[in-house]
Amino acid sequence: MLSTIQPPRYLSRFPLRGRTKSRPFHILSSAQPVTKTSFAADQSQILSIRYSLLNRHLSAVELTHSYLNRYRPPFDATAVKRLKDLGAIVVGKTNLDEFGMGSTTEASAFKVTANPWDLSRVPGGSSGGSAASVSARQCVVSLGSDTGGSVRQPASFCGVVGLKPTYGRVSRFGLMAYASSLDVIGCFGSSVADTGILLHAISGHDSLDATSSKREVPDFTSQFTSASSLKSRPLEGLRVGLIRETVDAGVDSGVKSAIQGAAAHLEQLGCVLKEVSLPSFSLGLPAYYILASSESSSNLSRYDGVRYGNQASSDELNALYEESRAKGFGSEVKMRILMGTYALSAGYYDAYYKRAQQVRTIIRKSFKAALDENDILISPAAPSAAYKIGEKKNDPLAMYAGDIMTVNVNLAGLPALVLPCGFVEGGAVGLPVGLQIIGAAFDEEKLVKVGHIFEQTLEGYNFVPPLITDVGGASA
Amino acid sequence: MGSRALLMLTNFNFKATVSSFGSASNPFFLIKNNLRIRNFSTKTRSSLQPPDLPGLAETARISLAPNEVEEFAPKIGQVIDWFGQLQAVDLDNVEPAIRADTEGDNLREDVPQTFENKEALIASVPSYEEPYIKVPKVLNKE
Repeated sequence: MLSTIQPPRYLSRFPLRGRTKSRPFHILSSAQPVTKTSFAADQSQILSIRYSLLNRHLSAVELTHSYLNRYRPPFDATAVKRLKDLGAIVVGKTNLDEFGMGSTTEASAFKVTANPWDLSRVPGGSSGGSAASVSARQCVVSLGSDTGGSVRQPASFCGVVGLKPTYGRVSRFGLMAYASSLDVIGCFGSSVADTGILLHAISGHDSLDATSSKREVPDFTSQFTSASSLKSRPLEGLRVGLIRETVDAGVDSGVKSAIQGAAAHLEQLGCVLKEVSLPSFSLGLPAYYILASSESSSNLSRYDGVRYGNQASSDELNALYEESRAKGFGSEVKMRILMGTYALSAGYYDAYYKRAQQVRTIIRKSFKAALDENDILISPAAPSAAYKIGEKKNDPLAMYAGDIMTVNVNLAGLPALVLPCGFVEGGAVGLPVGLQIIGAAFDEEKLVKVGHIFEQTLEGYNFVPPLITDVGGASA
Repeated sequence: MGSRALLMLTNFNFKATVSSFGSASNPFFLIKNNLRIRNFSTKTRSSLQPPDLPGLAETARISLAPNEVEEFAPKIGQVIDWFGQLQAVDLDNVEPAIRADTEGDNLREDVPQTFENKEALIASVPSYEEPYIKVPKVLNKE
C-alpha cells in the first residue's frame, strides 16, 4: 500500500536471485536512494513505466535490433509529466512487445521477461514488463498501455491489478501510437486502491490530445474505505452480467471455475448476478486485428530513419527507408505492417477495414445495451493462465486467440478492471487468474469501488508470488 | 491449451437474434433480425487476391530478405484468410465507427506554440547539416 512504502525494499528486489532471464527493467541510473520514511498518497510513488511512454530522463539500452534503441525522447508524455509533478519516483522503464504488438512480451527488442509466478512462463503482453515488475514487488505501481488487452491480460497472468480506462480518459500524448482509435494508457498495482490512485493522477483532459475527453474526473480515490468499515452486503442490488460467451467452450476449465467462484463471491456481497449473451462477441477478434494492423501500418510509417532513430546507410532515399525499417523492426512488427498495408490497399479497404469499422459499431452497441441492463459485466481476462515461454511463438492465430476476452472492450472504448480472483494448476503454487470487470463509459469510479470491495473481502488467497519471501500477506 | 482457445475462432456456428437488445428506438434494429454467422473455413473464398508480399513490402517501404518472405508468407496468408470471415457477416446499414465515441469537437485554438527543447530534437536527427536534415538522392522509379 502506498502509505507504507519503504523504497529500499523495492529497490533491493532487482535483480531477483535465481533469475536467468533478463530483468523486466532498465534501471534508471540516476535514481537516488530515498531517505524519507513516510509518504502521503499520490506523492513519491515508486513506479515503473512502459518503454513506449516517452520519458526525457531515460536513455536507451544497447540491444540487438531496434529502431529506437538510441533515441532519447525530448519531452515527457503527459501521463508521465503529471506523475513527476506529483513527486512520483520513476525507477525505470519496463519491457514490452515491440511497439505494443504481441501478447507475451516475447516479441521484445530486448529479452524475454519471465513471469514471477513461474520463470518458465510468460508474463503476458504487451505490457508484460510492467505487470511483472509490480508482481515481483520491484515497484509499487506501473504504467502500461492497452490496445487489445495489453494491460489486462498481463495483470491476469501475473496476479496483479490492471486498470484500463475509458478511451479518452487519459491523454495519449507521448504514448507511441500503435492503433490510435484503440490505444489507452493503463495502470498496474498490487491492490485496487493503488491502481485507482495512479489512474486518478494521470486522468483528465489534455489539449495536446484531440481525443481526450473534457469530462470531469471524479475523485474515485474516495471509494477506498477499509474492509472493517463495510456493512455486511456492501454491494446490495448491484446488477452484474456474466458474459455467457466468455465461459463457453475454448476457455480453460480452471479459469471457468475461478470466475464462477468470483461470481459467487460477488453474490455474497449482495450482487444480483445473471448471464448476458453478446452474440457478436467472437467477431471482435478479427475486426480488432484488421483495425489494429491497418492503423499501425500508418502509425509506424513515421519511423523512416530520417528525423530520429537508427538510419541505415544508403545512397538512395527509398533504399534508406527500406533498409532502416528492415533493420529496425522485428518480425511481428513487419508482419503486422504488411497485413495492415494489405487491408488498406485500394480495392481491399471496403472488404476489410470498412467492415471492421462496422463490426466496431455492432460491438459498441451490444455492450451499451448490456450495460443499460446491468451495472457491470464480468468475464475472465484471458481463456487460460500464463503460457510457457515459446508455446505460441510460431502460431499467430493461436497467439491472437488469447485476446478474445479483452479486444471487444477496446473496440467499445469502455473501461475495465482486472484483479486476481483465484488460481489454476501450474508453477510452484499455482498460476493466478484474473477477473475482468467491465463498466460503462467513464464509469471507472464504479469499477474501482466494486474491485476494492471484492478484493478486501476475498479470503483465503495470497497473491504474492512465492519468489518474494520478505513480504507477508497480500500487500506490499 | 491454445488449441482450445482456437476453438473459439474456428468451426463456430451460431445464429443470433438482435431483437433481445434495447428498445424499439435502438438503431440496432436496422440490422436484419438474424445476425447469421455462417460456418467458415480457413480457405480463401473471396475474389480478393492473396497478399503479394514483395509488392506489399515495397508499398510499406520495408525490404524483406528472401528467408523472411518465405517465413512470413504462410503466416500472413493464414491471418488474412481469417480476416475474410467478416465477408460473411451481414453489415447492411451499419455505420462504420472510426472510434468508440466521437464526443464532438475537441480542437484547440489554432495558435502556434513554441517547443522549447529544440536542441534535443536536432540531436535526434541521424544526418544533420545545419539547417538541413540530410537525405540521399531520390531515384524515381519509372
